[in-house]
Order: sequence, then C-alpha cells, then structure tokens
Amino acid sequence: MEAFDALLTGFGVALRPINLMWGFIGVTFGTLVGVLPGVGPALTVAMLLPLTTKLDPTGALILFAGIYYGAMFGGSTTTILLNTPGESASIATALEGNRMAKAGRAGPALATAALGSFFAGTIATLLLTLVAPFVVTLALKFGPAEYFALMVFAFTTVAAVLGASTVRGLASLFIGLLLGLVGIDTQTAAPRFAFGVPELLDGIDVVVLAVGLFAVGEALYMAAYSGRQPATLEKMSGSIWMSKEDWRRSVPAWLRATAIGFPFGTIPAGGSEIPTFLSYAVERRLSKHPEEFGHGAIEGVAGPEAANNAAATGVLVPLLTLGIPTSATAAILLGAFQNYGLQPGPLLFQSQGELVWGLIASLYVGNAILLVLNLPLIGIWVRVLAIPRPGLYAGILVFATLGAYSLHQSWIDLLTLYVFGLLGFAMRRWDFPVGPAVIGLILGPLAETQFRRALQISQGDASVFFTHPISGTLLAITALVVVLPWAARRFRPKTPP
Amino acid sequence: MRKSAELALAAGVAALGAGGAIVTAGLPGEGGYAGIGPNFIPGVIAAGLIVLGLWLGWEAWTGRWRIAPEEPFDAPAFLWVSGALFAHMVLIGFAGFVLAGAVLFTGVARGFGSRRAARDAAVGLVLSLAIFFFFVKLLNVNLPAGWLSPLLGGAGL
Repeated sequence: MEAFDALLTGFGVALRPINLMWGFIGVTFGTLVGVLPGVGPALTVAMLLPLTTKLDPTGALILFAGIYYGAMFGGSTTTILLNTPGESASIATALEGNRMAKAGRAGPALATAALGSFFAGTIATLLLTLVAPFVVTLALKFGPAEYFALMVFAFTTVAAVLGASTVRGLASLFIGLLLGLVGIDTQTAAPRFAFGVPELLDGIDVVVLAVGLFAVGEALYMAAYSGRQPATLEKMSGSIWMSKEDWRRSVPAWLRATAIGFPFGTIPAGGSEIPTFLSYAVERRLSKHPEEFGHGAIEGVAGPEAANNAAATGVLVPLLTLGIPTSATAAILLGAFQNYGLQPGPLLFQSQGELVWGLIASLYVGNAILLVLNLPLIGIWVRVLAIPRPGLYAGILVFATLGAYSLHQSWIDLLTLYVFGLLGFAMRRWDFPVGPAVIGLILGPLAETQFRRALQISQGDASVFFTHPISGTLLAITALVVVLPWAARRFRPKTPP
Repeated sequence: MRKSAELALAAGVAALGAGGAIVTAGLPGEGGYAGIGPNFIPGVIAAGLIVLGLWLGWEAWTGRWRIAPEEPFDAPAFLWVSGALFAHMVLIGFAGFVLAGAVLFTGVARGFGSRRAARDAAVGLVLSLAIFFFFVKLLNVNLPAGWLSPLLGGAGL
C-alpha cells in the first residue's frame, strides 16, 4: 500500500489551489489549441511548452498533463464535426463520428467521446498507479546495457515495424538521431555538429524540431497543395445528451477499449494508432447492429475514443518509470522534463516522489476537469472550428515562431525552424512518418550515453549486450519483431483467398 | 520523369549521411575505458543514413515507392508563406515581436488565399499584441518590443 500513501501525498500536491488552477488552464488551452484543424496533440504540447518557462517544475508538469488531455479531447471534437482527423489515432473516430454528426447526432457522438475519454482515462490512470511501482522496482535492477537494449527495441518498433514503410520509418528515425548529435557530447564535453554556432551548442531543442515538422511543414504543405478544398463543418443541433440506448451501447465499448488501449500504450508500439483501429474492429465484430457501421454507429465512436485515451495514459508508464518515450507527444513531454533538469526514470520516483505522484494525481484531476469543462463549453469549441483557413494557419504560425524565438531570443532558431519546416513539408509530401524523427532526437542521446556507459563498465567488451539475460532477451525480441513480419510476407501463399 | 523527385530525396538522405561522415572524421576518437570515443555513434548514424539513402533510391528506381498523385504544386502560395516567415525572421530583432507577427500573419493569410490584406494586418496586430502582453506581463517571457517600445512601455527587451 506504499503506492496508495504516495498517491495520497500526490493528491495533496495536485489539489493545492495553485496547481488546480494550472490544471484548469492546461485543459482549457489544450482543448482550445487541440481543436484547431490540423493541430494534433504533439504539436499542441510543443507549441504550449514556452508557457511554462517561468513556472516551478510541479506546476509546469501539471499544466502539461492538462494540455495533453485537453489536446486529445479537442482533436476528437474536430474529427467528429469536421472530418479532418488531426492525427492518425483519430481516423477511426472519423469513420463513425462524422457520420453521426451528418445524421444530426453530433451531440451524443461528442458526449460518448467525452464520457468515454473520462472513463478510460480514469481507469487507465488507476492501472498506471498500480503498475508504475512494480515497473520501478524492476527498472532499478536495470544497468546501462539493459537500458540500451530497451531503447533499441523502442527504436525498432516505432520506426521499422509500424507504419507503411520500413525504410521511410528508419530514414526518419536516423535523421532524428543525427540531429540529436548536435551539441556538446555529454561524456567528453567535445562539441559535435555545432559548426561554431553558439545556438547549436545547446543541441537542437525538441520544440523547434516538433513545431518545425508539424506546424511549419503542415502550413507549407497545406498552402502548396489541397489549399482550395473547404471542409464542411457539421452543425451542432438537437440534444447533447445520450439516450438510454446510447448508454447501453457505449459503456461496454468503453470498457473493452480501455482493456485494449492501456497495454498497447505501455509497450513501445507507437502510441494510439493500433489500439484505436483494433477497438473499432472489435466493436464492429461484436455489435448487434453491424449494419449501422459506416452510417454512424455509436460504438464506433465510443470504442476508439476510449482506446485513444487509455493508450495515451499507458504511454506515460514507460515515460515515467523508464524515461523512454514511445510516441512523439511523449518525446516532447520528456523534453519538458529535461528543461527542468529532471530525467524521468525509476530514480525520479525516489528523488522527486512528490513531483511524480503529484503529476499522477493530477491526471485523475485533469480527467475530471476535462469532463466538467468540455461538455458545457462545446459551443465555444465549435466556434473555434469555424475560423477560416487563412486566419487559422496565420495564427498557428505566429504562435509556432514564438516558441522557437523565446528559446534564445535569436533569429538563428527561426531559421532552424524554417529548415525543419521544409523537411516536414518533404516528409509529408513523400509520406515519411514524422514521429520517429522526434523520438530519435530525444531518445538518441540517451541511448548513446547508456551504450558508452555499458562499454565503460565492461572495459570495451561489446558482448555485455548479449550475455546479460535481460538485455539479451530484449535484443532477441527486437530481432524477432523485425524478422517475423518479413517472413510472414515472404512465405505467405501467393494466391489471395 | 515522375521518379526524379523521389530519387533526389533519396540522394538527399545519402548526402546527409556523407556530410555526417565528413564531420565525424574530424571528431576526437579516444575512448578511455569504453574503447569508443565521441566519434563512434556519429559514424554509425552517418553510415546508416548512407545505406538508407541507397535503399530509398532503389525503391524509387524500381517503382516500389509510390506516392498518391497530388494536385499541382501551388508555387506562389508556398513562396508567400516562406517569404512571410523570412520577413518575420529579419524583422523580429529590431522592429519587435508585435510588428513582425503582424507581417507574418498577413503574409501567411495571403498564401492561403486571403485578398483582404488590411483586415488581415489588423487581425495580426491585435493577435500579436494580445500574445505579447500575455507572455511578457503574465508569464515573464522576454520578447522584443522593438519600434513599439515607446508605446509598450518597459515591457520586453
């Protein structure tokens, strides 16, 4: 019950009026920005990072928990009313939610999304509370070799196994890894890839990369292509409340989706995309009304939305206990920790227990705030959606450049931002996934440090990675997840069924 | 040739790796107990990028890397957005955050098809002013006031 006591202390922190206020501000801003079409959770978190530069770490991280959840909810509102999914995890919602809105049932669709997110988020946070101390105990046994093997596993699944193309995923990852090298080498203090530019000695900030790839890249892409097709905004009409029948169909979907989403979030499997689709498929299979799928079945909104939120919470397990981000959003959150000189991992639970448990407690609070704030304010979010595109993208870029400029008050950061914007444009145009680059930038330097530490301990003997049981097992699993899908493709019978 | 852009991109990835390899060659290599120095991992990453560039090139050449057809590239729109970002970059240091933001807003809106420059400039000015006061007065983030510093008081730098 040690975890329970710690959590109570955490609630003491999270429920302080000032921290409660940061929670409210975070959820409001997160939803406000997350609701903007084309702005996903990763970009929302990155753009709002400069808000926290002058806050104490606990307040800042609580603010971020609110932004994270708010951005998720904002994204689903946009998807349901506008049918332009801001991120791949919302595509499943778009299938049914937008159909419901077209049929005049936008209210219940938004309600089941909000309530499902609340239930799934709360249950998933409960699971996080129970699982985290266990993982921390395990992680304390990890040495540098084990950490390195774990990071290699995360790199491989995120970049090579998931997504449309292995080579493009890997190319994105390696570009991120190369950018992660820029700056002072942590082991020897030798400057690398800085070319004598002082702004580069600090390394490339994750905010500049994420905002460049997501915001500037997206704006350039939308301006150059598809700039002329207006999306139709569905009207909010009729009751927002769910009928008895809606409840009866939603609740089991929420529960099943939580069971799918949370475990997927905890393993390095690239965040929410797979569990949302999986949940959609399960609901479709189990539904008593399969004929409604494709025409606005409420289970098809309830399930994926709950799965999305459960996975988003699950992602926090490896982030907080091991310091390993498994999605682009988590990588940016890790960057926020690093800004305060905090390195998430098992040691943080011991040295900064109040902060970590305060953050976990604030996730419960954030979920509740989300519920009480968002359904009543839905009218405001709908109005945000009606902003015409020129003003929308212009506003996004004013905000995006602000974040980069406030780092060093230097135009060099703005130039870097534009270069990453061009990169993001090309990656969007030729279908490279962007997430691996962001994860590579943040996780690459950590992996290098663990790799070199492991070799220092073994006096340069590289066999440690294979002879340590945990490390060897992880590397074997990594090899398996690469080989198995390839083998399955290679040896599958050629005739289609 | 439809493939030329894909091939150029593949070459770009390989060139990034080659550039990385050249920089790596100039890095110190003494490794102490670990036996590897600050140049080891950069070398691995540079080699990886070269291999990935060749792999991409092969996929582009054999037609495996197919991208859905796009609408024609709207060069003026792309240039308006890029130009606005460069103008902002130049202006922010001496004209200040608010004026640079208004210019950025107007230029980007033009790139997205807006033809009402005066209205956009006004909206951009109000938005930048609001952000400026929010960040400088409430959050203590330093932003340059520039030419408007007589009006904005001692706020910012």
